[in-house]
Amino acid sequence: MKIKSKGFFTRRTSEALIFILPALILIIIFYILPVVLSIYISFTPLKNWNLDRYLGEIVGFRNYEKFFYMLQHDPIIRNVFLTTIVFITITLAINVLGGLGLALATYFVSEKLSAPFRTLWLLPRMAPIAVYSLVWYYFFHGSEIGTLNSFLMHLGIIKEPISWGHDIIPWGPWSIIIFVNGLVGVSFGMIVFTSAISNIPKELVIAARVDGASNWQISRRIFIPLMKWHILYVTTWQLLSLLTTYAHIFLLVQWGLVSRQYGTTWSLYIYQVAFTGRTDQGLAAAAGVILVIVGGILGYITLRMLGFEKMITRPRGDI
Amino acid sequence: MGRLKAISKYVVIGIVVVLIIVAAVAIYVMQRPSVGPTSVELTGDFEKDVVEVGKALEANGVSEVTYSVWSGGDPNSVMRVLGIVEAAHRINKIWSDNGVDVRIKVETRYERDPGAIYDEFLSKQPLGQAGDFFVNSYIYISTLAEEGYILDITDYAEKYSDLMDDFYPTILDAMKWRGRLYGLPQDTEARPLYFRKDVAACAGLDLTGLADKVKNGEFTWKDLYNWAKQVKDTGCADWGVIHRKGSAHPDLIQFIYAFGGRLYNPDTGKLVVDKEAIYKWLYVEWKMARDGLIPENMMEWDWGTQIHPTTVNGKTLVFIGGTWHWTEWQTKMYYTDPETGEPRGLKAEEVKNFFYYTLFPAGEPGKDPVTLSQPYAWMISSKAGIKNPNYDALKELYHELAFLILVKASDPDINAIHSIISAHLPVRKASAQLIADENWVNKLKNLEIDLSDDVKNQIKDIVEATVNPINTEFLSNVSYMLEYTHTTPIHPLYPKLAEIFKDAVDMVLRDEKDPAGAVQYIISSVNADPDLAAEVEIVGEIPGGWSYP
Repeated sequence: MKIKSKGFFTRRTSEALIFILPALILIIIFYILPVVLSIYISFTPLKNWNLDRYLGEIVGFRNYEKFFYMLQHDPIIRNVFLTTIVFITITLAINVLGGLGLALATYFVSEKLSAPFRTLWLLPRMAPIAVYSLVWYYFFHGSEIGTLNSFLMHLGIIKEPISWGHDIIPWGPWSIIIFVNGLVGVSFGMIVFTSAISNIPKELVIAARVDGASNWQISRRIFIPLMKWHILYVTTWQLLSLLTTYAHIFLLVQWGLVSRQYGTTWSLYIYQVAFTGRTDQGLAAAAGVILVIVGGILGYITLRMLGFEKMITRPRGDI
Repeated sequence: MGRLKAISKYVVIGIVVVLIIVAAVAIYVMQRPSVGPTSVELTGDFEKDVVEVGKALEANGVSEVTYSVWSGGDPNSVMRVLGIVEAAHRINKIWSDNGVDVRIKVETRYERDPGAIYDEFLSKQPLGQAGDFFVNSYIYISTLAEEGYILDITDYAEKYSDLMDDFYPTILDAMKWRGRLYGLPQDTEARPLYFRKDVAACAGLDLTGLADKVKNGEFTWKDLYNWAKQVKDTGCADWGVIHRKGSAHPDLIQFIYAFGGRLYNPDTGKLVVDKEAIYKWLYVEWKMARDGLIPENMMEWDWGTQIHPTTVNGKTLVFIGGTWHWTEWQTKMYYTDPETGEPRGLKAEEVKNFFYYTLFPAGEPGKDPVTLSQPYAWMISSKAGIKNPNYDALKELYHELAFLILVKASDPDINAIHSIISAHLPVRKASAQLIADENWVNKLKNLEIDLSDDVKNQIKDIVEATVNPINTEFLSNVSYMLEYTHTTPIHPLYPKLAEIFKDAVDMVLRDEKDPAGAVQYIISSVNADPDLAAEVEIVGEIPGGWSYP
């Protein structure tokens, strides 16, 4: 049988296309199209969801100019950016290192203990967002009804309740949103890393044990180098997730637990502009497009820093 | 192989043919020409108009019309949606009596947060998925009207001049945007200052005649500071003043008016940032918070566990609230029974014994006392009736019917029931008369009035808890406050400005900024937004040497 090899649509590429077509359709509908639409909307004066009236009108870069003007002059938006940087940096470190730490720690204890322990850490992810946020709302509440305040007052450590999300500016609100999101994200890293460790051949650990290696040495010399791919994956994934997450933070800000000034991240700001008050979807889309560009750049940098290219290079066959 | 190919070909052709037929039928059904009249000339004779609209619908083959109504607010204000249900019930009865075989079905949605339901209406209306009736604050009329989301009912309303004349003029005016009418008043309110009688007595403060002193401008916020301080110093209460938070900014906006300021320039149609009045308002908040009379973290207090319990359990001298709180305290379990230690609602007698009420005092001598109203409006979506048959052809009929439902929902008894059970003020003179009718109020207490069973069942518990002579007396006693009322501006950008005010209050309460710094913050925030800056005039200066108290 003669294999056709004319142009792009060879038999081989056609077969490959058929296999990836379902995924490709989903990606186009749920990823590519929204991005294209957002870019388009960012050049329109769309507000109050009035598609009929505003969607056909193009205003050039007006929304981008407005966004950068506000960034320069509005103290709240400047704080939004500062909050975003601090939030992502610290929460990412907690998510990756915490997940790694938990996976390693549970490996070295018996399965009887580690299974319930791991399940416990999954609770924040399993709990409905509103319920989970409500728990921390009452825990950190800035009056005597807050669990933390009540506990500290009971112990005599503080005399008056502390408004954690407002009084200690900016680290109070930052700490709360980092803590609440950090706990959710840790479980993701933990699952990926636990699965990775379980796939590492036991012989390597046994051999190291025979040589007298400690848990720390086994972790550092065997597990971590063999989990590079997973660490890269978790770091990149979590970085991009944190850049766009806002559900928990939205509730904590909405309920007044944390200051709006230092509790609003970039993605939450976009949500607020698009969906609340005098909704301005054109401006929100411009802020969103810039967020996508920043996300793309950060994702690329992360992959480069962690040697993604090297990892996907085909083995040379001389190992 | 060839046979398989042929079968496949026929299957594909068959599917295409079936799809074409289905599409053609769907297009025909959706756009089938009307066979009866597509609109009716309203005459102002309600029963006649209803029957004519019903007959026109019937002639077009419509046997059921479905509308949905969306609203939100405190639990006792549920008549905001049930009023539409009752109106539909009454129109159904008229049709039934006149042999018209059409029925209206109403789906209701009532949420606690009116702001959230507005956000949802805004995003779903263009898609035709929002409520056909939208009952919410008049402040949204400007934006909704500007975007064409709600129906301009001016022409319909002109035919019902008797009804329009019965609404209080200032409240009806609040339903207008650029001279056109976009809604009918549903309720209004005043925002009294509630004084705890027991706390005042404990601190040796005499409340006798205070309401008149406030009314005459003899008791101002300067005096209130001294009272609050006395209460705190004598240990009679934890706080001198408690107010609401977040979206409750209208309560605090009263300060601007009480210090003689303004928020809107009718000549230019722009919002106003009045530096002097705002500075004085923020100074009062800042000073009181520094002296421990208002909680520093007031703006993050919890409604159910802090704000209301502190008020009803006598831990503050003053609460800046609204008339509707009078009955909310009776139906919500904010009060802790001193004998059992269990939470429960206050009894009407207890509310009367605990609370004294006045206008919002003048900011300082020489200024006037105020109150603030934010009337609710019955609004009709410009896509009202979209879920009903042959909408494109019968749109006008569905809109006319929706308007007639609003006319019926404005019946004096429906408005009076809402006023009594939710402690809002009536919007019509006829409703006010009904509230003053003891005989009618007694019938309402026993639910011996002409209401559908559905509505009766839904308000039974609220009626039982709230309909009594004490509550109706309260409504009568606070009615005079409407003579002192102000409204917040009907301007699409006002909510944005109000949000900045809210942040500024939070800052001064927490001492993150002093009053002058907070005024500067407001100005910077306004100027940072080009849209807002273009629509706001900044007037006046921060007064030098002004002191408080």
